[in-house]
Amino acid sequence: MKIATIALAAAMLPAWAQEIKLPVNLDALADKADEAVSVTMDKSMLQLAARFLNDRDDDEADVRKLIAGLDGIYVRSFEFKHEGEYSMADVEAVRSQFPSPAWGRLVGVRSKRGDNVDVYFKDGGNGQLGGIVVIAAEPRELTIVNIIGTLDPQRLVDLGGEFGIPRFERSRTHKEAR
Amino acid sequence: MKARACTAALLILTAGAAFGGDAEFDRIVKAIESRYGTKPVHIPFMGVANFVVNVARPEGASGFKLAVFEGLRDLNSAGDPSEWRERDRFMDTLPGPNLHPLVRVHSRHDGEATYIFMGPPSKSHKSTRVLIATFERNEATVIEVQANIDTLLKSLEEPAHAGRTLRE
Repeated sequence: MKIATIALAAAMLPAWAQEIKLPVNLDALADKADEAVSVTMDKSMLQLAARFLNDRDDDEADVRKLIAGLDGIYVRSFEFKHEGEYSMADVEAVRSQFPSPAWGRLVGVRSKRGDNVDVYFKDGGNGQLGGIVVIAAEPRELTIVNIIGTLDPQRLVDLGGEFGIPRFERSRTHKEAR
Repeated sequence: MKARACTAALLILTAGAAFGGDAEFDRIVKAIESRYGTKPVHIPFMGVANFVVNVARPEGASGFKLAVFEGLRDLNSAGDPSEWRERDRFMDTLPGPNLHPLVRVHSRHDGEATYIFMGPPSKSHKSTRVLIATFERNEATVIEVQANIDTLLKSLEEPAHAGRTLRE
């Protein structure tokens, strides 16, 4: 899976600030990283982007519908020069921010190559998701995506590759989701 | 003489049309001046460049403002994380209500930090004001362009390179 360079800026919205704290060791990760990237798309920016997406293009129309219910997308990513410069304990510190029952894990992928992906979701009611956090850990990259708002779980894949969100391989995501 | 005066007036109007009433660029430049104890380098024929960009690329960058700083004080170790954080805090204080932080990149490898802020869209919603501040070693560049929103969104596919994409 191609993971772009990115991660999460939680605590951007007051409601979320109460639920997801920015892990204290995120600064420590930034200190070790060769490259650190932060992307912030709040609701006003998403609305602007939505206006620009073309309804006649199927892909863009899908993304437009998808982001209509979103309040924000926050991505933070760290790229390291060498493998092993961040530890699984660093990742666990992020994962531990999403306790049940408020949060459930939708997908958990563990690969022998060291590519690990976790997708956590918050129930938004009526079969919708209320928020999603994606943690993608590769040997030399760690990416955290925080998507705030209501969205259809089937459409999560459509957001891959947009706004700095890593692309998801449709087949693997669906298989794991089942 | 009359032709020169007309040309000068045209250049001023061209630049003014793209950034009418916008004082944020100037305010940010002043803040960097004050914080790092330096003045922007004078760039000859900047107005002409602005005019050429307006004429040559109407769908892309319709105008730009540029400030280049050299010899920034207290900025000699671009790879120092504590310096990154301090500069982040400083940059967080700069945008006014019309500029939103969009992308922030720190590269130890390049010794470079890039901050991209997005302004309100144009009336047609086809373009938006984008301000890009780049720090490298003891130099800094601040660029403001009226960018095509499609270009801006495409640049987010590779956010680490967004600053370069938008500047080119």
